[in-house]
Amino acid sequence: MNKDRTVVDATFVSKKGESFFVPWMESPGKTAGLVHNNHQIRCVSIGGQSMSACFISTVVSSRAAESSIISFALKLTGLVAAAEDGFIALQETSVLDLAFDPQHWREEGLWEDPCVRIGWIHGFNTMLQHREAFGFFVRADSINPLLQLQTDASLFVASAANQMLTHLLMFCHPLSSGFNETEVDNKSSSSSITGLKCPNATETDQEGAAVVTEILEFLKRRMLPKEPSQFHQSQQILKLLASILSQAGPSLQNKLLLTVGESLEELVASNYSQLTRPLMDVILAAYSSSCGDAKVPDQIVSRLLSVMLNQRAPSDLIHAAAAFLCSGHNNRIHMEQSACILLLPVDIITSLALLEGNFIVKDHRLSMMEQLKSKTSCISMICISLKYIPRITLMDASCQPCPPAVVVDAVLSLLRLCSGLSPPSPAGCVTMFRNVTGSGKVQKCALEALSALSSSPEVKVMLVEVFTLLIEYLNHPDSDPTVLQKSYQALLKWIGVCTNLSSITNQLKQDLTQVVRKRVCDMRWEVRDSTVEFLGHLAGLPACSTENGGVCNVSQYLLGGCSFTTPLLVEALHDPESYVRASAVSALAQAMTHSWRQGAVPTKEQAEIVTQLLEILSQDTEGFARRAVLQFFITWFSSHPSSTSSPLLLQSVRSVLLQGSADLDWEVKVHTLDLAELLMDQAFLGQHGYTKGLESHPAQPHPYAVTDKQAYTLHTHSGNHTLSSDLDSLVKQGLLSVLLSGLFDCDRPVCLKACRLLIRLKDVLLLRPQETTDAEKTDPELNCELLSQGWAHEIRNVLGTEDRTSGTDAHTVTVNVCDLVKCLDLEERLDVLTRSSDHFYNSPRSLLQDILTASSAHAQQDSQLKEEVIADCY
Amino acid sequence: MKLYCLSGHPTLPCNVLKFKSTTIMLDCGLDTTSVLNFLPLPLVHSPRLSKLPGWISKDGTINLEKELKECAGRVFVDSQPEFCLPEKELLDLSTIDVILISNYHCMMALPYITEHTGFTGTVYATEPTLQIGRLLMEEVVNFMERVPKAQSATSWKNKDMQRMLPGPLKDAVDVWTWKRCYGMQEVNSALSRVQLVGYSQKVELFGAVQVSPLSSGYSLGSSNWIIQSHHEKVAYVSGSSLLTTHPQPMDQSSLKNSDVLILTGLTQMPTANPDGMLGEFCSNLAMTIRAGGNVLVPCYSSGVIYDLLECLYQFIDSANLGTTPFYFISPVANSSLEFSQIFAEWLCHNKQSKVYLPEPPFPHAELIQTNKLKHYPSIHGDFSSDFRQPCVVFTGHPSLRFGDVVHFMELWGKSGLNTIIFTEPDFSYLDALAPYQPLAMKCVYCPIDTRLNFHQVAKLLKEVQPLHVVCPEQYTQPPMTQSHRSDLMLELQPPPMPYRRCSVLNLPFRRRYERVYILPELAQSLVPTEVKPGVSIATVSAVLHSKDNKHTLQSVPKPPPVPPTKKRKRVMEEPPVAPKPLLSGAVPLEAFLATLQKHGITEVKVEETAEGHILHLQAEDTLIQLEEDGTHIVCDNNEPLRTTLRDLVLRFLQKL
Repeated sequence: MNKDRTVVDATFVSKKGESFFVPWMESPGKTAGLVHNNHQIRCVSIGGQSMSACFISTVVSSRAAESSIISFALKLTGLVAAAEDGFIALQETSVLDLAFDPQHWREEGLWEDPCVRIGWIHGFNTMLQHREAFGFFVRADSINPLLQLQTDASLFVASAANQMLTHLLMFCHPLSSGFNETEVDNKSSSSSITGLKCPNATETDQEGAAVVTEILEFLKRRMLPKEPSQFHQSQQILKLLASILSQAGPSLQNKLLLTVGESLEELVASNYSQLTRPLMDVILAAYSSSCGDAKVPDQIVSRLLSVMLNQRAPSDLIHAAAAFLCSGHNNRIHMEQSACILLLPVDIITSLALLEGNFIVKDHRLSMMEQLKSKTSCISMICISLKYIPRITLMDASCQPCPPAVVVDAVLSLLRLCSGLSPPSPAGCVTMFRNVTGSGKVQKCALEALSALSSSPEVKVMLVEVFTLLIEYLNHPDSDPTVLQKSYQALLKWIGVCTNLSSITNQLKQDLTQVVRKRVCDMRWEVRDSTVEFLGHLAGLPACSTENGGVCNVSQYLLGGCSFTTPLLVEALHDPESYVRASAVSALAQAMTHSWRQGAVPTKEQAEIVTQLLEILSQDTEGFARRAVLQFFITWFSSHPSSTSSPLLLQSVRSVLLQGSADLDWEVKVHTLDLAELLMDQAFLGQHGYTKGLESHPAQPHPYAVTDKQAYTLHTHSGNHTLSSDLDSLVKQGLLSVLLSGLFDCDRPVCLKACRLLIRLKDVLLLRPQETTDAEKTDPELNCELLSQGWAHEIRNVLGTEDRTSGTDAHTVTVNVCDLVKCLDLEERLDVLTRSSDHFYNSPRSLLQDILTASSAHAQQDSQLKEEVIADCY
Repeated sequence: MKLYCLSGHPTLPCNVLKFKSTTIMLDCGLDTTSVLNFLPLPLVHSPRLSKLPGWISKDGTINLEKELKECAGRVFVDSQPEFCLPEKELLDLSTIDVILISNYHCMMALPYITEHTGFTGTVYATEPTLQIGRLLMEEVVNFMERVPKAQSATSWKNKDMQRMLPGPLKDAVDVWTWKRCYGMQEVNSALSRVQLVGYSQKVELFGAVQVSPLSSGYSLGSSNWIIQSHHEKVAYVSGSSLLTTHPQPMDQSSLKNSDVLILTGLTQMPTANPDGMLGEFCSNLAMTIRAGGNVLVPCYSSGVIYDLLECLYQFIDSANLGTTPFYFISPVANSSLEFSQIFAEWLCHNKQSKVYLPEPPFPHAELIQTNKLKHYPSIHGDFSSDFRQPCVVFTGHPSLRFGDVVHFMELWGKSGLNTIIFTEPDFSYLDALAPYQPLAMKCVYCPIDTRLNFHQVAKLLKEVQPLHVVCPEQYTQPPMTQSHRSDLMLELQPPPMPYRRCSVLNLPFRRRYERVYILPELAQSLVPTEVKPGVSIATVSAVLHSKDNKHTLQSVPKPPPVPPTKKRKRVMEEPPVAPKPLLSGAVPLEAFLATLQKHGITEVKVEETAEGHILHLQAEDTLIQLEEDGTHIVCDNNEPLRTTLRDLVLRFLQKL
């Protein structure tokens, strides 16, 4: 069974289990095990078969049950019946007949609901693990409804039906052809047949053979569309075929290809554009099987592939060639053919003679030129071509129609045409030229291609040309923000790859400086953001070699270094857009990392920046900027050599911890805990009992969070300090307050992180070496103060400190840290926190609804909304 | 219908349309690019300009050192700048009945047309066009008059001399027609002839045609015009914009179904997208200020400046420019800023609705209130005491030849920290800067031209579908500098009719109908006969009365009772000849053949022709041609037969 799918389904079941089982069961504890994985579910199911059976039969026979509950019940039935004894138990109660009878659901009027249909398929699919289940499937004559569902109106249902049909065929074929474990194991690793008991009943063999024949006949019968309305059906059949071919062993593949070979040939010859891609999937699935196995009728497959790459309309040819190139097959002839087809549109538009003297695509040139005159097909073909062009340059040199540098030149020419920077060649067609002029889509695709081409061999000679063009793009007044962002990315890629930048002239450097200076003042925040990010990434690049043979920091060499970059970034800290502020903070971190690593004493300017960052942390209204500030200090702390601890850093960390833990944004709090963890690591690494747990790396950031890709370097404990003094200094830094306030936070990720860190702290405190006395273990000096508000109040309640602190100030209570961590029952808290999860809803409708909502929003042409969506996507 | 083209400038047009006995001038734009050949007029004495060497030809034969000065390899006329007027010789300007003005930039030549030419007609324009046009004229007059130049250079205009001069003076055309700027008296007199009109208001011209302005979306009060009679429609499209800026949006639908569409005033910068340019403007401005430099924006005192200020209003905070002063210096700065706020009905919907809140429609009011924007009539007076640097200065004239801008060029030109940002598209920035070379200050060219581009105009024409399009010849070929850009020209079917300066075009358009009124009593006397369902016709005898291009059919007056005379008697004796009845209908072949047979004509040979049929009556040696609109009977010397046949044919026709 597909591993990913198992996880999703199990989570789904667990959520449903929580939602529906708890009220059902007398003791909620009995359902606690109904989580996490199939195995456990099965155990519980078997243990509580009667309970499950009771639930299932009640739901199945209920007339008032909701479709989502029925869907769940059907899936649960499949899980329970996947084990033979579970199956038998359920069959005894006749609940299976009712549950898997589509007619029953039709009569109830529920079959119309895709939830129920998908529940039926998933249930059956899960159940089909043993021959009893298979026998039940055959006797219930479920193959017909399943084949019908293969072209269901719901894409989810149709896709699930395809999966189940594949599974069924994998399951039946060994039954019908004699079980061959080796074959199955080799090719059907994703099928759930592993562990299947070897069937021996002749009846089952015959039934299996009948099912295989029925499915194959179905494929053959429905593959060819008789009218345009049947294209969808053909597409579905082809998808199924591709899925089977990629999973089946050679014998089933042989059988399959012999059965449907003729239909496939007919379909390939019929030139239906809509079917090009699914057809290619089928052919490539068959082709990959034919490699190295003579049994498969590879002549058919080879012939089909040749036809697809030779005799179709230009737009289909492009798709076929792209599919072949993607498949990773290394047939030399087909590779060369595909490469030529993909280069042809660019060759025609740029008139650069990329394919000069190449006869492979000579016949397609005229028809391709005709197609390129239509704007839609021109842009679509050029974009596909651009997407795959970088792959061509990475192919074996003998298969490449032209050298990679020529390809880079062609992409540059195309980019010039797109922005009107250069006239088209006289040989080019005016209509084609108009199609690409000003097309943002082509510009973006070409810039992506240019980025990818940076890693191709022998292209570094083009650096100056690339540099010049990208600066022109960055300077162009009409470039849209995404185009500018992609230009920056391409520039970074090329600079990153070319370690020798000596060919970059002073004029180019000056132009770059000028354009960056201008773009950082742009009206559009997206552009300012990309520019600031560019400055940060540039500062983070490794050193390059210069014209005098020396080595220099890239940012220093191209832009003049910090004296240019830092003032621009400091200015950006005051940007009205929070994304830009956040990017500026990250970029500053990248720009300063180098000096931190060297342990340089912070300059006055850097001290001012730190003050500004602390201001952002305490005053900025947006979370993005505050999160970035935390990341800044994390980077600083982790890249700073511990031997030369900077007073400015230590002083700032205290403020950061204090403010970060009091923030309202949960991500800021998690980052604060990350910083706290670094402090702990620095203090305790090497101490007995201290483990650098899974948390040594910051938690996975939120997708919008500003991330720092740099690895964290941790410094081992120097051993000069005693544990007590370390602990004391940590408490003074405010570490304990951060951890304790996190523990009582309302956001689960914060609690979880704080809890894990506290456990590690507890381990250090309580698992000291043997020689340490008990008195030292409960270090009476190590105290912390608790106020009577918020989390501290909670702790006081837990500790019951109200009684023990008579005589002291009623608002502040001093407690011993060791006592405290012992009393908090951290392990149990961790257990509870780990087990609970955020709400997660999975249904065949939800995604579809999302898509429909999004598309209807676009259909309204509400430009403001559209802009918001774009901004979000950005 | 004829079109006389008096200006070759595509965005400063001046055309005269003769249509149905009216003579209508469409715009009178003034081509001011001629001033680029002159030396700047400094407000305060400029040692640099006064020290420029005079020009003497290389061989020393021509000495014009008093009139011409040389600066950085180019020669400039040291005299009061002069303008290139619309052609005055092509037709008698006194015959012009009306002048229709489409926007305030296209009326700057008005005093040259209406004064001292015998012009007696009326000028039609919207109120903002008149008021802002007056401001622009006042400003130019002020710029010129406050720095009077005693000398007037004319020797260089001598044809033989001019031929020997270096370019571009050598290539300047019609230099003899160039004129100095008019005075305030002429401005006032010219503008007193303006009659105000509102959008869609219909103005009758002598009963012959109706003219009506439509919103063109380009500037405050800018309009396109519809000139129509009962059966013909001419659309005049000048300076229009589809972008959402401050003016009311363009009215496109009223341009539909024109017989002729005269298209002028497209963007001068087809490759510069106004949004991109606005972005460039802002980022260059911010960049200069951050580096401690000053920004100079040479601009007109009305128009794009409102949008620039609005854009800056939003941009100031994001670029941390809150403390930078913005100065607007023009003799009419105050009026311009205030006028813009009071023409609410001419503004776009968003701005109109602000007025009801009530809020000023343009945010520059807030900039003024918060002291971020300050305006002064000139650099003298208050400005000199308030002046703080670094700052941004908006001032005219965009040609850099006169106005306060000349002073700032002299002041800031030497420092590389300062930037001049050109936003007006009317002048080549390189030519404008020529007399200031060598120049250290940075120069940024971001012309903002919101007028229609070729893509938009193609879409517009597809929508409004005129039968014929007339346009300046510049629009029928790609721009000279981008000859490969075939997308930067008009490609229409049928191709547009190009015009150039001094062209006279016969518009391919024939009037086929005229509306005639019929008096009720005459109408009552008519006896209509239905010729086919829904169509009745009647013959009428009447007197046609034409006055003020209005035609009326009146009853024939009864003859006055005159004393009987002999002659009269004789007339009375003859019965009045009744007009021959009109015939209508068609002769159906089969039925006609059957009738012929009844009358004993049996030998008929029928031949089919392109127009109908020919019947050959063989026995009678007679031919009958039956056609859609006529029947001919050809029979020699057999009058009875002809009469019989005629009567048989008449049986099938209706008499009116």
